[in-house]
Amino acid sequence: MERGLLAYILIPLLSAIVIPFAARNKPRIADIIANVTLLAGLANMAYLLLNPSNIAESFSNIPGDGFSLLMVFTIYLVALCVVFFSAFFAGPMANRQAYFCLMLISVAAMCGVVTTSDFFTLYIYIEVLAVTSFALITTDDTSAGLEGAIKYFLLTFPASVSIIVGLSLLLLSVGGFSFENVKMFMSAGSPDGAALFGIGLILLGFLIKAGVAPFHAWVPDAYQGSFAPVSTHLAGIVTKISGIYAIIRISMLMRFSEGEAQALAGTLMFLGMLSIAVGAIAALRQKDLKRMLAFSSISQLGYIVLAAGLGTPLALIAAIFHLFNHATFKTVLFLNSASLEKAAGTTDMDKMGGLEHAMPWTSWTSVIALLSTAGIPPLSGFWSKLLIIVALWAGGAKVYALLALLFSIVTLAYFMVMQKKIFFGKKSAAAGISEVSAPMLAPVVLMSAVIVAVGLLFPYFYAYLVETIAKRMIL
Amino acid sequence: MTNSFALDWYFIALILFIGLYCMLVSRSLLRQLIGLEIMSKAGLLAVISSGALTSNLSLAQAVIITMIVIEVVVVAAGLALLAKNFRINKSVDIWNLKGLKG
Repeated sequence: MERGLLAYILIPLLSAIVIPFAARNKPRIADIIANVTLLAGLANMAYLLLNPSNIAESFSNIPGDGFSLLMVFTIYLVALCVVFFSAFFAGPMANRQAYFCLMLISVAAMCGVVTTSDFFTLYIYIEVLAVTSFALITTDDTSAGLEGAIKYFLLTFPASVSIIVGLSLLLLSVGGFSFENVKMFMSAGSPDGAALFGIGLILLGFLIKAGVAPFHAWVPDAYQGSFAPVSTHLAGIVTKISGIYAIIRISMLMRFSEGEAQALAGTLMFLGMLSIAVGAIAALRQKDLKRMLAFSSISQLGYIVLAAGLGTPLALIAAIFHLFNHATFKTVLFLNSASLEKAAGTTDMDKMGGLEHAMPWTSWTSVIALLSTAGIPPLSGFWSKLLIIVALWAGGAKVYALLALLFSIVTLAYFMVMQKKIFFGKKSAAAGISEVSAPMLAPVVLMSAVIVAVGLLFPYFYAYLVETIAKRMIL
Repeated sequence: MTNSFALDWYFIALILFIGLYCMLVSRSLLRQLIGLEIMSKAGLLAVISSGALTSNLSLAQAVIITMIVIEVVVVAAGLALLAKNFRINKSVDIWNLKGLKG
């Protein structure tokens, strides 16, 4: 574990302990404490990442492999947007203190996941994250939220069992749980069957937790049923950290690019492609906005898993970059769906229409986010998809590269349908609907600015990824 | 010595599939939770067995104790969900959970 990053776990945890006492009589204090904690962490992280002297010193002042640092930054960014948004979204909430407390614990657990250096600690933090997620999904006490949470519970707990059995097989053949052990084991030669089976079971558990294609059944239900800002939190960051992060990490450790674990790498790439296809095709025929966004999320996850399965340094930095971009644009889209839910009172796309003039900010930030998702230059999503496709082509997986390109167009298609149904078209349904308040627009506008800025400052981010991840990954 | 470990893994697989079977065939949410618990017990047995096999028992014991604590937390959260579900829907049947479709 990077010792310098320990503060990013401990401070949210401390704030979470303070909130129930400090905000017992004045619930508003809970949102102030949560926002200040996350803002301070984000400012600190932004200073580390975006310091101008980084370029001059070619990133030698950044500790570790840069992956953890970027992920901590993403976690704080998304969590700050969600917490700030939900402070204004809910109005008088019955259990405000508990909500913000759980949010901070979830942030602490996610930071734990990305900074740890052994599989067992990873497992513990992921369980903590899952428990907070069950509670957060059911925040608004509706029957839909409860249903989503129960489905999430019943599918992710067997995934944990699969991870435990995989860990025991890892202990049997590798002799320990730490990343260092696995690294040394892999450098000693080709892995034996038991180790591969163990890693395979661990991967299976993380694939279920990430919601990759054949195991995606819980994703749309959990996202659709949950309290609106919480679905942003889940889609933007929680499922990515609890599943995809570990998959990318395993791909780094197992050296998928060198072909020593060919079967696992091939399976991972196939599941990634399947996920892209299933998510995109299912998203085309959805009526509910949040459900459509959930399927789109599954489809975008597919790109990350596909690149992680290939495992070359270029593919891995592309996967990490797409993970960051996915967090930004999916946060915008889900927060906009929450705004629409509040303004129009529904998330059914057929009941909306012509909201462009009633809600101009929501409409245009959605356009930015969807163009980024579909990969239109110069927005950030274009660069990461380009990197993924170039890496696939260079890595010899030309069929996958072409299919990925094709489904990128399908992505544009379903988002255009969404935009037309909700924001353009007839104005009949728009009567009496007005834009949400400025504080609720602030996180969305911030994230849109991040999307544009990352797209325009791509050379800086590319240099960061190459210098801190690709070069230090040579184990 | 080796034979007894082979027997260990046989029973681990058996318990795992008993739990899985329990989850697959029962309609009651409570029974599904019990099936999950049986499955996770198989996981714990696997860890302690491989710890003993590689003479790494102290690590395995530390891991097991932590896992038991985590499991209790998860099961408590799950039971809370089931209790809330029973209070709202007045049923523990898994087939009644079909409000979300698309």
